[in-house]
Amino acid sequence: MSVSAAVLPEVLPRAEIEPPVAGPTRRRLARIPGSKAERRWLLWPPLIFFIVALLLPMIALVGQALNGKKGNAFAEALSMSSFTDAVVRTVLLAAIVTVITVIVGYVYAMGVATAPNWLKAVLMAGLLLSLWTSIMVRSFGWMLIELPKGAIYWFMGLFGLADKPLELYQTTLAMYPAMVAVMLPFAVLPLLSAINGLDREQLNAATVFGAGPLLTFRKVILPSVAPAAISGGVLVFVMSLGFYVTPLLLGGPKNMTVSVIINTQLNTANRPDLAAAMSILLVGGTIVIYLIADKLFNVSEKWG
Amino acid sequence: MTDVSLRRAIGPFRSPLLILAILASLLFFIPFFVVIATSWTSGSFLLFPPTGFSLQWYESVIGDKLWTDPFKLSLLVSLISTVIAVVLGTLGALALRRIRSRTGARLLRTMFIVPMALPPVAYAVGLYSVNSTVRIFKPTLTAMIVGEALLVMPYVFVLVSTALGNSDPALRPAAATLGASWPLILWRVELPPVLPNILAGAVFAFSVAFDEVVLPVFLTPVGQVTLPLKMLTASQEAFSPQLTAASTLISLLALIVLGGVNLFSNRRARRARASAKAKLA
Repeated sequence: MSVSAAVLPEVLPRAEIEPPVAGPTRRRLARIPGSKAERRWLLWPPLIFFIVALLLPMIALVGQALNGKKGNAFAEALSMSSFTDAVVRTVLLAAIVTVITVIVGYVYAMGVATAPNWLKAVLMAGLLLSLWTSIMVRSFGWMLIELPKGAIYWFMGLFGLADKPLELYQTTLAMYPAMVAVMLPFAVLPLLSAINGLDREQLNAATVFGAGPLLTFRKVILPSVAPAAISGGVLVFVMSLGFYVTPLLLGGPKNMTVSVIINTQLNTANRPDLAAAMSILLVGGTIVIYLIADKLFNVSEKWG
Repeated sequence: MTDVSLRRAIGPFRSPLLILAILASLLFFIPFFVVIATSWTSGSFLLFPPTGFSLQWYESVIGDKLWTDPFKLSLLVSLISTVIAVVLGTLGALALRRIRSRTGARLLRTMFIVPMALPPVAYAVGLYSVNSTVRIFKPTLTAMIVGEALLVMPYVFVLVSTALGNSDPALRPAAATLGASWPLILWRVELPPVLPNILAGAVFAFSVAFDEVVLPVFLTPVGQVTLPLKMLTASQEAFSPQLTAASTLISLLALIVLGGVNLFSNRRARRARASAKAKLA
């Protein structure tokens, strides 16, 4: 993704100004092996940082999981129905959020691409607002909307529809709009750059030869934006697996995700070994899913 | 810039598409406006619509050390982790261009992007466990800073490596042929054109780090609280107008700073392009 919306407006026009160097030459020139000294100074500092910041905590997790006093923490975690239920719930939640986010994200990106200028500015402002304000603030907003006497209740009251306070807050349904809103930018941005990169000649050709919007969508637009939709979707899915704050604040005790369970094991049940075992399962699962998707769809390449 | 081809291609579906997009944008706007509105209430409860208008809650936040201290701590932690992330993320993006083997480049790229997929709670538990083994970390902010730097590094890496990929690939060999050493090439040839993206990466990394709430839950030393953590605990203790006033203040600050930087860097990039064009002509 041209990740940040901060650069987005700038990346696009530049592509128009500089005609790309012919493909293969450019690719060959793009990576010229550096000298030994270059590799030492450029590659080793980040590598060492990754060992300290990523590998070390993972090793510590394994150590902590094996150090429990009650035998095998992994087996215990997997036999706990509260954990396995949370795993199923979390995966399902992430899948639903991903599907909704990608579809809405496509509509949003198409909206940005085809809207008149004033509306385009409004839609981009919405994206930036979401990227630039704290997730806590956004969650509070949803809480205020969904509370029994919150904004929805007030709004319905205007039309005389609300006879009794809502029972929406801390239900499963309450989480979805908030989670989709959190994830939407991560789907919209790659889709938007894919849509902007669509071959206009192909589009024109399709129209000239009489293809209707549906046929054009199926044969021209969809194949071109599918890679972006997939890589955005993969990222949204793996990020959704780690959801913590939103379900905690909006979903209530019935909707505990794996992350919430891990926190409970560590801080309430005082079982650091179980928390560690569950963390390993969660990290391991997430990373494996990501790596498989990366292998299949070149997700990292689309982003970097 | 009107996209005629695309508009024609989607034909009659344009209006429903635009209406749906507007509805979707409400997902972004409404929660934000509701938070702002509730914060100016003159009553002492969080109510929507607000009762009356007063700025009392803003005053109470600004004058309260329980809010200003976490703000300063968040500023400090995110600044340091942003510096780490920007330096190392940029080094990584530069290194990516110098690796001959495709597999190596692919591995490096994946390594830099994977932290985005890392579930924050599980990662925080890992850091917590390192923290409790290595005693010197425990009373300090080190583990939290390192962790946040790792979580935000992908954003810097992606932005900088995209920009490097768009720059002219022939410049580096050309400079090398003319006898420039690699640090000189790096400093005078490679980095200047991607500076706006490095800046954008820094801003993005800072805002994500500032926003991080899960790591602080596990890793703040006794007696210290970051702002998002303060907001989380405050929301669980008493959901009050003070909380939404603090939320509004911090959001407005973020919007002003980030919007300003964005305008500045866009203008800078436009000027750079214009002057490059003028030189060519």
